[in-house]
Amino acid sequence: MIRLNKVSLHLGKTDHSLSVQFQLPAFEVTAGEIVALTGPSGCGKSTLLNLVSGLRIADKGEIIVDGVNLMKLSPAQLDRHRGTHCGMIFQTFHLLSPFTALENVLIGLRFSDRSQKYPKKRAIDVLERVGLGDRLHARPEELSVGQRQRIAIARALVGNAPILLADEPTGALDPRTGLEIFHLLKRIAEEDNRTLLLVTHDPSIAREMPNNFDCSELIKPKELTADEEVTGS
Amino acid sequence: MNFFFMAWQYLKFRWLVSLLTIFGISTGVALVCAVLALRHESERALSRDAGLYDLVAGGKGSPLQLVLSSVYHLDSPTGNIPYKEYERIRSDPRVEWAAPVGLGDNYLGYRIIGTEKHFFDLPDREGNLFFELAEGDVFQDRFDVVLGSQVAQASGLEIGDSFFGTHGLIEVAGAEVHRDFPYRVSGILAPSGTAQDRAIFGTLKSVWEIHETEDLLHSAIQGSAIMADHKTRETTAILVRLETPGLRLWMADEIREGTDGIAAIPINEIMRFQQGILGPVQKILLAIAGVVVAVSCLTVLITLHQAAERRRRDIAILRSLGAYRREVATLVFSEGLLLTGGGILLGLLIGHGGMAIAVDYFREATGLILNPWRIPSDELYALLIMALSGALASTFPAISSYRRTPIDDLQLSE
Repeated sequence: MIRLNKVSLHLGKTDHSLSVQFQLPAFEVTAGEIVALTGPSGCGKSTLLNLVSGLRIADKGEIIVDGVNLMKLSPAQLDRHRGTHCGMIFQTFHLLSPFTALENVLIGLRFSDRSQKYPKKRAIDVLERVGLGDRLHARPEELSVGQRQRIAIARALVGNAPILLADEPTGALDPRTGLEIFHLLKRIAEEDNRTLLLVTHDPSIAREMPNNFDCSELIKPKELTADEEVTGS
Repeated sequence: MNFFFMAWQYLKFRWLVSLLTIFGISTGVALVCAVLALRHESERALSRDAGLYDLVAGGKGSPLQLVLSSVYHLDSPTGNIPYKEYERIRSDPRVEWAAPVGLGDNYLGYRIIGTEKHFFDLPDREGNLFFELAEGDVFQDRFDVVLGSQVAQASGLEIGDSFFGTHGLIEVAGAEVHRDFPYRVSGILAPSGTAQDRAIFGTLKSVWEIHETEDLLHSAIQGSAIMADHKTRETTAILVRLETPGLRLWMADEIREGTDGIAAIPINEIMRFQQGILGPVQKILLAIAGVVVAVSCLTVLITLHQAAERRRRDIAILRSLGAYRREVATLVFSEGLLLTGGGILLGLLIGHGGMAIAVDYFREATGLILNPWRIPSDELYALLIMALSGALASTFPAISSYRRTPIDDLQLSE
């Protein structure tokens, strides 16, 4: 279902003025597969998620999601791909402060399942599923960090996206809450047969995941072309 | 969930900045609305008065002064004109209606206009009677008076009540009160929305009689209706309606050439006054208001730009959820429209509400009745221009949001 083939992406310069690029020879995940992306900070785990979501465009290679090569899509088609295929969960939740829990989820639905006939009912059902049925009208700042991450999960689920892309979803949580959130996410992915790509630094979480993909070798110094070597750029 | 709701939530979330921006816009809009509405209404009201008469004849002096004193009951009269001139003009077959105006006294600052009974037969331009009595009747006795509606309201005088006139055209402390000549209220006019509402109409004979028996010194005061004997009786002005307005210039020339006085065409004098004096003042006020509106639009642009900068992360989140570029641009644009629309509506309310509050003062000062809630067409155009300016100001931050790539902004902290 997700296949990346000979993907490379120039990432600019590091703090040490070293030009680096993301290089991934091959990566494949089948529908419903649950995979932990592991590796040290800055190794390219989040970049991999962003390539799958279409937030980043590779310089070369193939990124096939659900049979479609993202490299050939227009910006608007990539937006649509994100809305319909990907539910994104971030380390710092990325909720919209002016809106309540229910409204945050409704906004997620607004851009994912655009033909939903009963959006409010759908949003409430999902919030109940993540255990927030009694906090529908609370704003993010009124909720604990664990509850905020549950809203973010509900928002990712509400449009029925087949792929969940979770970028260190437990990174901002205490270990106990982090584990709760991880188990919730994994359980939902399994129940719904959704593909889950989960970036984590936590070895205990990685151990509980059925599949691990080590991203340690994805970022490399950029290989200079002959011209670049001459000009020194 | 539509974009206007989302935009509204964002505006509510930073309510103080939103309110200050709306107030900034509304100040400019209120100024524009007030100036334009005031101009339109004052022109309308002035023309309504001026349009009642085709000509005004009076003593030598400024034609504008003659019109202001005899039609609007403002300013000092130019001087007197022999009463026989009035008789001659009235008998002219080209004259539909003519009435004398004799000034000299006031009551509580409201001028007592000496005239004749048929003054109230003045037809309006549709052929109906212009003056309508709300109560009582026109004068039966030479010391009967008919009160303008505003005078009746301000003085509290009712039918049958008596009062004394005071010498002079304005209320001055210590002025001589004609205690030997009590006036009696015989009628009260219905409001007409013209300067006639703040006048007291009595007989010209009463004015003559009072001033005949007073010290001759009074006759030296400019504007008094004076007499020495019947043959030299004078009146302050003569109001004339012609069979057709096309005769105005012809008749005015005849009066100027055939008498010692002047003749003025009220509508021409008022238009000249508006264009020469009021026009430039209004233009300056409009220019100031225009600058305020321009600054307000700039405020919208800055506010939205800052809001969009602060919300780069939120916009990136929306994009990560699947929002199209045009959708986030629409969201930012909607905020601008709400700010501009709110400012315009509030400004409209403040501008016209302010006029509504000032209407009584304006009526007391000038006798003109303004409709504060009427929106003239040039004001509608101005509002449209302001709305378009606000929309234009909202376009820039919307385009900026459209162009951003979400990936960098997602790293921003809340």
